[in-house]
Amino acid sequence: MKILIANRGEIAVRIVRACREMGIPTVAVYSDCDRTARHVREADQAIHIGPNEAARSYLNSAAMVDAARRADASAVHPGYGFLAENAAFAAACRDAGLTFIGPSPDAIALMGSKTAARGAAARAGVPVVPGTQEPFARDASDAEIARTAAEIGYPLVVKAVAGGGGKGMRVVTGPGELRSSIALARSEAGTAFGDSAVYLERRLAHPRHIEIQLLADRFGTVVPFVERECSIQRRHQKVVEESPSVIVDAPRRARIAEAAAAVARAVGYTNAGTIEFLLDEDGSFYFLEMNTRLQVEHPVTEMVTGVDLVQWQIRIARGERLDLDPLRALTPRGHAIECRIYAEDPDQGFLPSPGLIRAVRPASGPGIRDDGGVTAGYTVPVYYDSMIAKLVAWADSRDEAIARMSRALSEYQVLGIRTTIPFFVWLMQQPDYRAARYDTTWLDGILTSRRGRSFNDLGPDDELLVALAAAVDTYQRASADAGRVDGLARSGHWQRTARAEALRA
Amino acid sequence: MTFEVEVAGARRTVSIEPAGHGRYRIVVDGTPHEVRAERIGEFGLSLITNDGAVDSREVNVAPGSARGELLVELSGRTVPVMVDGRRRRRAADGGAHGEGEQLVVAPMPGRVVRVLVAPGDAVELRQGLIVVEAMKMENELGAPKPGRVKDVAVTPGTLVEAGRVLVVIE
Repeated sequence: MKILIANRGEIAVRIVRACREMGIPTVAVYSDCDRTARHVREADQAIHIGPNEAARSYLNSAAMVDAARRADASAVHPGYGFLAENAAFAAACRDAGLTFIGPSPDAIALMGSKTAARGAAARAGVPVVPGTQEPFARDASDAEIARTAAEIGYPLVVKAVAGGGGKGMRVVTGPGELRSSIALARSEAGTAFGDSAVYLERRLAHPRHIEIQLLADRFGTVVPFVERECSIQRRHQKVVEESPSVIVDAPRRARIAEAAAAVARAVGYTNAGTIEFLLDEDGSFYFLEMNTRLQVEHPVTEMVTGVDLVQWQIRIARGERLDLDPLRALTPRGHAIECRIYAEDPDQGFLPSPGLIRAVRPASGPGIRDDGGVTAGYTVPVYYDSMIAKLVAWADSRDEAIARMSRALSEYQVLGIRTTIPFFVWLMQQPDYRAARYDTTWLDGILTSRRGRSFNDLGPDDELLVALAAAVDTYQRASADAGRVDGLARSGHWQRTARAEALRA
Repeated sequence: MTFEVEVAGARRTVSIEPAGHGRYRIVVDGTPHEVRAERIGEFGLSLITNDGAVDSREVNVAPGSARGELLVELSGRTVPVMVDGRRRRRAADGGAHGEGEQLVVAPMPGRVVRVLVAPGDAVELRQGLIVVEAMKMENELGAPKPGRVKDVAVTPGTLVEAGRVLVVIE
């Protein structure tokens, strides 16, 4: 077996790690700007797949299959995002004689349509969030959409039928916003998924996001795992995930896990997948959607169960039996939290902050796992998702995991660009977060109430320290350029500083 | 050597002179500090000061992506620092451009997907002007002040660099 990894960044690195441990050779793919990316350097082989635009590289199914053929790969791991939930790609792999490490094209197609998935869940006896049964036609009139919206009731959510990762999704609080929200969701979904169909769903007032990871083999065995909670979301994008959830006790866990397994069995699901639920304030839960792939947040499940999900994906794909102890999968040991570190500036409304990474020093030490995708010298490109690493903390209890995460965040250094690390430092200190008093709207609410205040407030002592450091640095750079200190690079910035100094002197 | 250092919007006058063996005498706004400083690699500094509660700290000073900008990293936080005013002022911070005009600039590199206004349109504070897609998310840029659109400098599909002027409001 040789695996082509049809992805980039941290997830490609994660898959290389699993393969290396299993003794399986790997093939990376890269676009123009990713020539020096970490995943290219860590894989055994690398193949250029196309130009920077994702549509012509990482989303180019034909180029991907061709790359697998050229590298003589026998299997393809799609990671998440890009082609991971593209049924046509899974079918193209199969037709080219490649093992697709994921579910069947039929299962992807069925669950990839959110409306069809809702139908499948309902038929398996699992409750779904009230909403439209079918997507709107492209030429559906405003009046028709408004009528349907009024029947469901506001607030509601416009969702892309092909959506995922919070893209192509808009909350509508009243009829006035309906038209522009649908236009935005359609446009974003068209760009991100190549399918602009949308539907409507009622918005629960204060739901928590609970999801069940599962594995399923080709012999009908389905093993659901202990839940993850992903209620910490910014604009419907998960930013922190944990396992287990503090609001799920063992009996409720058994019920939700069984519901998830029932949906998977009903659609003949194989390989790794995740069923997402919304948990309402009254304790009832609703099927939200199924992700027919590995999730970004899979490490928290791995940390509390000790199961390597990526290795199991590969084993299931090559026909092995899933002989995992179901009790072990459902019984968490300790508590794990994941923070998604993005190249974004939290002090400017989380705007993307691409650019050259001057240095990276990930956190380490007891209970810490860094699933990183970048290294020093790499320029974070503007073309793809801005996540550069996932930091995971594990400890015996949730309180200890939070303390450990805080410690790790203070160690994590990414120089040259802005990241969301300062935001997580702040988040870990919030009383509501620490007490697990939140729902999926909590973070957006608290961010709005902060009115853009900086996440990098230092206090007088640290401000002084920064001034002292800037002074020493400027002095040493100027001295280096004057030939008085050896060993410092004379980059453009430092040269300008030195010239300015020379002019003043 | 004396310069102005701006940290978190506060300007300080800082002078520094070496005192030998990795020691520096640094005067910040008239207050002297004795600092032991050693360079750790290209960007790191180990500082030992004797006048704070915590006296040993690691600080990293590296150039940011904007021209002339320094980003200082300290225990999980990152602050932009300007030495002698060399961090270019961002137009988005309210850069003046003629009498009563305000420029709306691209805060990040991306692609213009929609232009929501035309020259001559009256706009309200924070009214959406333009939608820029970057990293697969659409970001709607709003009017920084109420006024009238004087100029729209881009069309849908235009690839823009950070700092590129998109719309002029008067």
